[in-house]
Parts: sequence; C-alpha cells; structure tokens
Amino acid sequence: MPETLVRADALGRAYGGGGARVIAVQGATFTVLTGDTVALAGPSGSGKSTLLHLIAGLDAPTSGSISWPAIGDRGSLRPGPVAMAFQGPSLLPPLTVAENVALPAILGGQDESEATAAALDLLQMFEVDALADKLPEELSGGQSQRAGLARAFSGSPRLVLADEPTGQQDSATGGRLLDAILTVAALAGAALMVATHDASVADRLAAHWTMRDGILRTAEQACSA
Amino acid sequence: MLGLTWLAGLLRRRTGRMIGQAAGVALAVLLLAALGTFFTASRASMTSQAVRAVPVDWQVQISPGTPEADASTVVAAAAGVTASLPVGYADTSGLTSRNAGTVQTTGPGVVLGVPPDYATTFPGEIRPLVGAADGVLLAQQTAANLGASVGSTIAIARPGQSKTTVTVAGVVDLPAADSLFQSIGVAPGTTPTAPPDNVVLLPQAMWNTLFAHAASGTASTQIHVQLSHDLPADPGAAFTDVIGRAKNLEADLAGGGLIGNNLAAQLDGARADAIYAQMLFLFLGLPGVIIAALLAGVIASSGRERRRREQALLRVRGASPKRIVRLATTEAILVAIVGTVVGLIAATAVGRIAFGTSSFGATTAQGLIWAAIAVVFGLALSVATIVLPAWRDVRTLSVREAQASVTTGMGRRPVWARVYLDVIFLGLGGLIYWQAVKSGYQVVLAPEGVPTISVSYFTLLAPLLFWIGTALLMWRIGTALLRRGRGWLRVATRPFAHRLAGVVAASMSRQRRGLSRGLVLMGLTASFAISVAIFNTTYASQSRVDAQLSNGADVTVTTAAAAGLPAGIADAVSKLPGVAAIQPMQHRFAYVGNDLQDLYGVNPATIGQATSMSNAFFAGGDAAQTLQTLAATPNGVLVSEETVHDFQLQPGDTVNLRLQFASDHAYHQVPFTYVGVAREFPTAPHDSFLVTNADYVAQTTGSSAAQVLLIRTDMSPPTVTAEVQRLLGPASGATVKDIVTEQQITLSGLTAIDLAGLTKLELVFALLLAAGASGLVLALGLAERRRTFAIASALGAKRRQLGGFVWSEAAFVAVGGLTLGALAGWWIAQVIVKILTGVFDPPPEHLSVPWAYLTGLLVAVGAAIAVAGVGMLRATRKPSMAILRDL
Repeated sequence: MPETLVRADALGRAYGGGGARVIAVQGATFTVLTGDTVALAGPSGSGKSTLLHLIAGLDAPTSGSISWPAIGDRGSLRPGPVAMAFQGPSLLPPLTVAENVALPAILGGQDESEATAAALDLLQMFEVDALADKLPEELSGGQSQRAGLARAFSGSPRLVLADEPTGQQDSATGGRLLDAILTVAALAGAALMVATHDASVADRLAAHWTMRDGILRTAEQACSA
Repeated sequence: MLGLTWLAGLLRRRTGRMIGQAAGVALAVLLLAALGTFFTASRASMTSQAVRAVPVDWQVQISPGTPEADASTVVAAAAGVTASLPVGYADTSGLTSRNAGTVQTTGPGVVLGVPPDYATTFPGEIRPLVGAADGVLLAQQTAANLGASVGSTIAIARPGQSKTTVTVAGVVDLPAADSLFQSIGVAPGTTPTAPPDNVVLLPQAMWNTLFAHAASGTASTQIHVQLSHDLPADPGAAFTDVIGRAKNLEADLAGGGLIGNNLAAQLDGARADAIYAQMLFLFLGLPGVIIAALLAGVIASSGRERRRREQALLRVRGASPKRIVRLATTEAILVAIVGTVVGLIAATAVGRIAFGTSSFGATTAQGLIWAAIAVVFGLALSVATIVLPAWRDVRTLSVREAQASVTTGMGRRPVWARVYLDVIFLGLGGLIYWQAVKSGYQVVLAPEGVPTISVSYFTLLAPLLFWIGTALLMWRIGTALLRRGRGWLRVATRPFAHRLAGVVAASMSRQRRGLSRGLVLMGLTASFAISVAIFNTTYASQSRVDAQLSNGADVTVTTAAAAGLPAGIADAVSKLPGVAAIQPMQHRFAYVGNDLQDLYGVNPATIGQATSMSNAFFAGGDAAQTLQTLAATPNGVLVSEETVHDFQLQPGDTVNLRLQFASDHAYHQVPFTYVGVAREFPTAPHDSFLVTNADYVAQTTGSSAAQVLLIRTDMSPPTVTAEVQRLLGPASGATVKDIVTEQQITLSGLTAIDLAGLTKLELVFALLLAAGASGLVLALGLAERRRTFAIASALGAKRRQLGGFVWSEAAFVAVGGLTLGALAGWWIAQVIVKILTGVFDPPPEHLSVPWAYLTGLLVAVGAAIAVAGVGMLRATRKPSMAILRDL
C-alpha cells in the first residue's frame, strides 16, 4: 500500500508586497506517494524551483498548506527523508567530491567510513567515481551536477527532488544520466520528482505535471479537465 | 552616474561589507591620529616641563677682581636674559643663639645676601615657612639646629671680623638648595655636593654692610639669571641652544665670570627622554597602527571573492577594466571618507575620555597635522585594500576565473616560505639582539654635557625583524598544522563537531590560507597587546622599585643636620599606629681619595626589617650573604663598582676613608676593609656611595647620630607620614616622604612621556584590535561563506552541526593565535625591555605579567568570537532564499 509522502492543498508562495508582489506558486493541490516518479515540466520562471523548495521544506508557503504524512513535520525532512539536487553548482568548496556526497549521510548520523563507502558506490553509478578526490573547483559544470545528484541519493532518501538534472549535459549524456537517476531511485525505493523543461526527460517519468505562471496542473487535474 | 548607482547598490546590498571595511579604516585612523597627536604633544611639552622645574636658570659666579656692576651689565644685556639679580655668598665659621639660658652653636655655614625682589623673580628658590618673607631669614634646618625662631637673636661669626648679631624675622625652606650652593667651575666630586647645614639669608643692603670687608676668599657674588623660555620644543635642541647662549655670555664676560648652567643640566637629562619617547612610539605605538592596517586589509580581502564575482558580471556586461577600477576607486573613497571621519571623531572622544582633552594636549596646528596624516593614511589604506586587488584581478584573472564561486586558495607555498624567510629574519633579529645585549649597550647614549646624542638605530632592527619573522612563522605553523595535522585536527575538533569531526578537519585543512591569515592576525594582535601590557606593567613595577630605592622605605624621615634626627624620635615613631618596623641609618660623607661620596652606616643584621634588601642591590646577587659578610667585619665597607675599578680593590683590601669627626668637625682618616660591592641602596644616589657598619662609624667619628629613619608600614604610607610629621612638628628640620607620593612623581616623569596615559591608550587599543581581529575577521570570513553554510543547511545540517564548523574554526584561530601570540608577545616584550633598558630605573630583573589585563584580553576575545559565531549561526538557521534561488 503506497504511503503519502507529500500532501499539498491550495499551496501558494508569493514574494514582496504591494505593487512589487510576485506570485511564484498559487493554488497547488497535489499528493506524492511512495514510488512515484513525477516530471514537473514548464518554462523557465514558471515556479518549478519554488515548488520544489516548498516540497523540500526549504521554503514556507504564504498560503495553503503542505504536509508530509509518511515522514513527519518540516523539521524531520532533512537530512534523510527528502533530498534535493540543485540546478546550479552546489558542492561545498572545501570538501572533495566524495566528502560532499557522503555529507548528508554523516549529517543523518551515519558513520563516516560507511557513508564514504556508500558515496563511492553512488559516484560510480553516476560515472564520476574517478573524480572522488577532486575539489569542486576542479570540476566542469556537468561533472559538478552529477556529483550533486549522487549527493541527493546519499543517506537513503524517500523522496528526491531534482531541479533540471540534465540541464548542463548534452542530450546523449543527459539520457545516460537520467537512466542513472531512475536506476538509483528504483534501487533506493525513493520517489522522484524532476523539474525540467526538456520534454524528452519528462517523457521518461511516469507522471507529467506542468506549471505555467505559478499554476500547477497535475496529471489527474489534466485528465479531469 | 554609474558610479553613484554602483555606490547606492553597495550601500543597499552590501551594507555589512561596507561597514566592516569602514570600521577597519576607522580603527587604523583612530590609532594613528590618537597616538601621533599624543606623542607629538608629549614631545613638544618636554622642554617646557623640564624648564618648569628650574628655579634659577643660570648662576653666574663673578670672578675675584671683576666689578659686580660691570658683570651685571654684561649679563643683563646677554641674549635671552629676562631678569638678573646679584646674590651675595659669605662664609661663616658658625652661628650662635641663646635660648632660655642655654647656648647653641653650629658648625660652619653660609650667609646669603638677597635682593628685595629676589623671591618674586625666582619664586621656586625660597619658600617661607614661619614669620616674614623678607628681612633676616633662617633656613629651616638651621633654625632647628639653633633652636631659634622668629624674634630670636643669633650671632654670625665672620672670618677675619668680629661677630655680628641679627634678629630672625622668618624661617624658610630652600627647595633647590643643591643648585643654590653648587660649586661653579669646579670639577665634579672634588668638593662636598651637599648644601651647607647652616644658612642665613640677609637683605642685600645688610649683607653688603656686614661683609664689605670680609676676609679674602670668604665672600663672593653670583648673578642669578632668568632666561626667556622661548626654547625649541625638543629638549636636545633646547640644550644646545642654552649651552650656546652660556658660552656666548662667558665669552662676553671675558673671564669675569663662570656660569652654573642649571637649565642646561635639566635639559641634559630630558633630551635622552625625548629620544626614548620616539622609541616608545616606534615600539609601542607603530606596531598597533600596522596591525590595525592589516586588520583593515583582511576585512577588505574577506569580501574579495564576492567583489570578484561582481566585477566578472560587470565585465560580461561590457564594462572596461578602467571602468571597473574606477568603480572600485569610488567604493574606496566612500570607505575612506566614512572610516576617517569616524576614526577622527573617535580619536577626539578617546582624548577626552583618557586625557580630558580632545586634542591630547597638542596645539591646534599639531592636531591638524596629525588629522591630515590620518586622512591620507585612511585613503591610502582604502586604496591599497580595495582598488589594488581589483586592479590586479582585472589584469590577471579571466572572467571565468573571476566567476568561479569560491576557491579554497590552496596554491603553492609562497616564495618566502620556500626560502625560509621567517627563519632568516628571526635568526638575524636574534643575532642583532645577542650582540647588543652581550656588549651591555644602551640604545640611546647621551653623555652628560655633550651636545650630540648617539642612537643605535641598527639595534632597532632586532624587534622589527622579530615582528616580521614571528608573523611569517605563525603563518608557517598554522598552514603546516592544517595541512599535515588532519588527524590531530579531527581529535581537536571532536568536542565541537562530534561525528562531523573528520569532515570539519578536512574542510579546515583545505581552507588553510584563510584560517592561517586569521591565526596570524589574532597572533599579532595578541602579541602586541601582551608585549605592550608586559612592558607597561614592568615599567610600573620598576617605578615602584625606583620609588622604594629613592624613598628608602614605605616612609622615610631624613635630616641633613650632622646632629641627626631629634633624640627619641625613633622610639616615638615605633609606637605610632601603622608602623610595622623602623631602622635608623647614618648618612654621612666620606672622601675616597679626592672623591667625596655618600656614606651609609647601617646595622646589617636588622636593616632588612624596615626596607627591602633586593638581591639586585649587590654584586653577586645575594643580599643576605653580602650583609652577613658586612656584619661579620666590623670595619667592613661595601663600595660601588666604579670605586672598585678606580682603586683596583680586592676583597679584604684596606680602604682609608676620611670622615668628619664630631669633636672638631674636620675630616680624619679612618681605615675600612673592602668586603663587597653595592650597586643600589635605599636613599643612595645612583653613582658612587659607601655602605658600612653604623657602630664602627659611631665609634670612630664620635657621633652615633642617625640622619635617616626608615619605616615599614602596615597601613597607608601617606597616613603614617602625616602622623610622623605631626610628631616631629614644623621646626624639626626633618623631611618625611612616603613611597606612594614618590611613585606618583616617578610615574608622571619619564620626564615627559605620560606613561600612564599612554598605557591607557594602548591597552584599550590593544583590546579593541584583539577583539576586532578575532570577532570581526571570523564574522566576515564566515559571512563570506554564507553560501556554503546555506547549502549545508539545505542538505539538512542542524544548527549544532553548523556550529561544529563555526566553533572549530573559531577555536583554531583563537586558541592558536592566542598561544602563539602569547609566546611572541612575551619574547618581544623581553627584547623591547632589554633594548629600552634606559627607560627603566633600575633595569628590571624580570618581566612583570599583568594577569588581570590578560584575563580581560581573553574575555574580550572570547566574547567577540562568541558574538560573531552566534550571529553567524543565527543567520544560517534558515537558509537564505536569495542564495537557494541561485542554486
């Protein structure tokens, strides 16, 4: 029986006030269950990243509500149950790639040596194990993004949120990277939500959600419409 | 226009960075302006301070045969002379007074003939005590010797003439008796240096009548001169000026007179102090300014990565390198303006708080000059820390490199590290120091009476090389620890980082450049604070020793009368409340060959009960042993090193001294045995003196009279002093002094540097610098890595885990910096104290450590770090959305 990882009801997020008020997300209602793989498609600036931040508990809604029934309250989301792979370079500069990938697991209480061994396995799956001892400043944008994805799967998360994971890859490499993401997510039993503007990426995932001007349309909503 | 927009953006978006940079510049400007103005004011007041203490500038001894009127005319016409009055000096073989049927007779003395307006022209020379201020006046001690008071009739014995009688109108004190009765034109040490026991002051007309036919060689005239005190501010220049004027007058007198140059003698002592004042500025002030400048540099450089990225953005948008440098210059000018204005306002506030005057006692012109220097310095500092790096980045970095988010800065070892420049500097500094200490030199050599001063500037290189070498060595140690000691770091950071210790150690190891920079700055500020505090405490402690040496004991009663202190006074004083112990001591004079020296007759077994007998007082460094030897040799004598050298003495040698016998007041030979060397002794002068057994002196001279009473107190010395003064009464002729008052005189002296004020200034600045270096640098360093902390927080790092990173880094900088700084500060204080040994009197045997201040320093650093760390952790409690949106 799948569990409900995320439940949102009329979720909204606005920035600023008065005339400068910008509504990034409005009225989003959805659920994410264990085992879901969701593509969140939409053009740049449509609110995809903001929605991922809200789901990850990194940001708080200004309207509506969001809960994580199978996980707990906002404070228990990270490190562990919910992880996020960012679009831009997000590795910690003074740590090596392996140390970066092992960090969430260590933050979650795992022993350092075990976390490092697991990190090396993840790096291998994302084909960057040769870079384990490199520092972030020595990596290309694509390599950095792969390492960031490997880090998102560190510490056995139940839900991984990936923001434009193939954005800095050519199409062939991007395809292979998506294979790796899906494989690792399946092996880990993690639900997956991928924000992308690339239709070919979205097509590989089970559910298709779209966002436009901050308004979310889930697969069910699309069907019922 | 773009410049203004850019500035407005910086003020809105980079407020913290701008405030930090301006604060760094303000601190450096504050320090430079305050110390510079203070030292200039101190130096400028040296001459006026020295001159103020001289009651009569010149005493012109008219040569026999020269008409007084002619000499007076020449003197009055000499350049710079504002007043001149003739004073008659006549010998008397004794004074007699009758009191209630008894006759009191004194030994030889001097009768002065004083013009009517003398007291108003030279106000410091005669101080009325009892009765009239003019007419026939008796010196206080003479009145005591004769038992005379106002209205008494005394007889003056005139050599070659009949006795004459006069009626006493008042009793006076002669505060400057030493210079008043100096022997002019006589080689030092050939005549008694002590003023006469008996002095009578007569109105000039009466003196002229009484001594008009004085026997040849028994009466003479001096012209006392007051000079215009419009002298150069620097005592050295003033000394040369006054010497030149005196020589010029002597040439005009053409052998008709010799000048006793009291003013030059006073300036002679002050000119070495002027050089020492410069040294103090160099050693105790300038390092602080340099550290403040370094702090400003580090603060500015902590925003360098972000500035690089901003500049890269501008370049992408088409801004030319010239425009980027112009924008950086605009930022630097704003920082300089805000920093210097705040710094100068703070300097005036500090002056008002520390000295009660915002100008530190300087003139408006001096204040403006230093303000201008500080403004230029602030501007240069801003340009050096903001514009230069921007210019270098534009020239050397590609846009891609500049955009790289954060680099760990682990490059190759710097050139200086590869050639071991730190070790070379420390070695050279050590060599220069060793050479200097070995040869027992003085950095400032101002031989008495010689106009030129020799300053060994080469030796000053030693502390400079130590400072630079120490800073570089701290860097080497810091980077080596972080690079190679990861295992050690993991253990050391475990209390803060727990399971994350390995990650934290790895992170710190790769940020070694930034952390070492913080460590060096912390170490330098700590070493500056510690060395300044140790120097100042050692100085204060030595001034206590000096006060004890010059005062003799907690409270000292002295008389110059050969008859000694009033009978029974010792017993009476011993019964006073607050008196713990007393010791009488004889103070006589004795000829060693032709050299007249002070002689102290003591009871070696008990002298230590009333005053401290330091090991440093005696050659061989063992006071107990030396006094035991003296006690075991009844006719033993301790002499100065100079005497041992001059007379080639060996222990056990007989030394024949000539002492004044009570029976005929004449000097007779008495054999003594040389048993040891005394370098210092309570109340004794700094040069030659003798210490011997009081019993032997009493037995050979026929007088056991003690001229000094040393008192150890167990309550406030000034309180006991008041009690003793009350006991003695006003006419005893004895002087009572206490150590507290004496130390105040010493501390306000160095004759011109207000070391208490300087200490306050420097210690407060040192605290500010240390707190700034620890707190501000840590805060800015952490702030620059807000992005890193935001990512860690987004990954799920809890506040405690982020604290692991923050507190581990803070502990490394604080503990490492303070430890290395303490070692360096102690060593540099040692070097400075040795090099500036001339400032101390006597030189210290060991350094004095100001534990209370050092505890305060630790608390200030700890508080600054705690505030910075807690602030940073508060800021990272929730990851910044602005940062996360960029990810």
